[in-house]
Amino acid sequence: MQAAIESALADLVFGPEIAQGDAAGIASWLARNGVQEADARALSRDFPRLQLYRRLARGNLQKALEDTLPRTLFRLGPLFESYFDEFLRVMPPVSHCLRDLTPSFLSFALPRFRGDERVPAYLVDLARHEALQVEVASLLGQQKSHVAAELSLDEGVLFIDAARLVDYEWAVHRLPEDESSNVVPERLAVSLLVYRSPEHEVRYLELGPFAAGLLAALLTCGVSLRTALSQGALRAGRPLDDELLTRAARLLSELATRGALLGKSPPASPEPPIPCPRSTILP
Amino acid sequence: MTTPSSSDLRERPARPRLSGVGLGLRWEFLEEVLDGPECPVAFFEVSPENYLGRGGYYPSALERIRERYPILTHGLTLSIGGIREPDRAYLNALHTELTRLEPPWHSDHLCFSSAGAHVLHELLPLQFSDENVRRVAARARRLESELGRPFALENITYYVHPGQPELTELEFLQRIFEQSPARLLLDVNNVFVNSKNHGTDPRAFIAGLPLERVVEIHVAGHRVQADGLLLDTHGERIADPVLELLSWTLERTGPVPILLERDNDVPALGELLAEVAVLEGIAQRALARHAEHHASSH
Repeated sequence: MQAAIESALADLVFGPEIAQGDAAGIASWLARNGVQEADARALSRDFPRLQLYRRLARGNLQKALEDTLPRTLFRLGPLFESYFDEFLRVMPPVSHCLRDLTPSFLSFALPRFRGDERVPAYLVDLARHEALQVEVASLLGQQKSHVAAELSLDEGVLFIDAARLVDYEWAVHRLPEDESSNVVPERLAVSLLVYRSPEHEVRYLELGPFAAGLLAALLTCGVSLRTALSQGALRAGRPLDDELLTRAARLLSELATRGALLGKSPPASPEPPIPCPRSTILP
Repeated sequence: MTTPSSSDLRERPARPRLSGVGLGLRWEFLEEVLDGPECPVAFFEVSPENYLGRGGYYPSALERIRERYPILTHGLTLSIGGIREPDRAYLNALHTELTRLEPPWHSDHLCFSSAGAHVLHELLPLQFSDENVRRVAARARRLESELGRPFALENITYYVHPGQPELTELEFLQRIFEQSPARLLLDVNNVFVNSKNHGTDPRAFIAGLPLERVVEIHVAGHRVQADGLLLDTHGERIADPVLELLSWTLERTGPVPILLERDNDVPALGELLAEVAVLEGIAQRALARHAEHHASSH
């Protein structure tokens, strides 16, 4: 019966480990998956070799996370194993693309990291940062009906799809790339624009409060440039004066030069109440 | 100009013109392929799962490679033997990718790799049973039209048969190909590994397969564990007995594309191309013998 065998092997891969000599554990595993007697006898006999499949499948999944979250996993150390075990038991993968495993793992792990005093507080931001790099590198870009013309105060601004705004409580983006480094990041609230260049490189731009407010309003809320400028000023806690307007013009011009800003577009939605939510990926 | 008759259209050749030795395209040497001189390979093969719904560098690089080399596609997660029907969203995305890449056929493994909604990301063996023959054959019949091109099934390695078998592995494969129009992607290393692990004769096994359905051959390296079990690692050079079995097989199939698979401990591109050259030499000698047999039998 393929159904029972399929269920049993998935349980073997994702479920709790059963020791080779644990006859009661093996019997319970076969029973809860409805394996019929003749198959159960064969699976019990071949159990040591069957466990190879647990090792192979979990090895593939672990490697996918190691490739995308190398610094997070290094700093998590032996704790990773228990998180990984629990993740596979509670939320087995559902995507055909291995790269989707990373956001799935983080949606499981990050809320738990926050409540786990063994996990350094900055690791949540570092994990988000590593995952964001993979996400932005592979975001699909859609054709845009933008107008490559001078921006207008009463219209929205269109950015490339491969751009995200993120807020961190720790300056994890300044950490060394060395995967085995244990340097602790500075505790500092930062906002970043993360985008993919036309050459497919992921670039980071650290934003001050005004720029962060302005871009959050434009990129996340799709409001008009006039409203976004006001929101930027509100976030910076300053009046919208000539100096801020000059800074905004310089920033938007720089983003156009870098290929992140495409042109103007009509506002996509009615103006939201102020302030517009600060955008982040992942919890 | 002659107009093809309706029977010509129905009887599209199962065996395409593509031949020679190709290489699995891996990210470790992608830039070298893009920026370096022309590689002496007949084609590159990719796994669509690595490109589905993806933007950025990798699909863009693949697009550039496709301008210079033929591309074959080899899936990893279809799960043709799983209880649950193959995931519709996955099939749609796959169809889009195949339409973009235009491979002459698409292949995946004779296994299950999903359980319900969960994707295992490993090739798990099917029980050799008539129930599974019927399920796989029915899906293989549908896949040709769903994917818009011929579909090929690859024989996998299995380290243990899951449960009590009703059939031998060879009977299992024979019945699937009897009951479906699927093409065969014959992995010679997998045949060898299974023969050692399960005590069968690899030549008798291959001789029992419908070799006229073979559209492609895969070869790869394997590792011998301390307990004697052979593991299909794709992480070492191809073992000599596998090269001999490849040669023996090519004498019987005639010209088909051969793929060198290397997924782990991927060496420098130059080393892989040297292995491709060895395979090319073996193929040419085997195909010369195939041509001689053919000429003398006519």
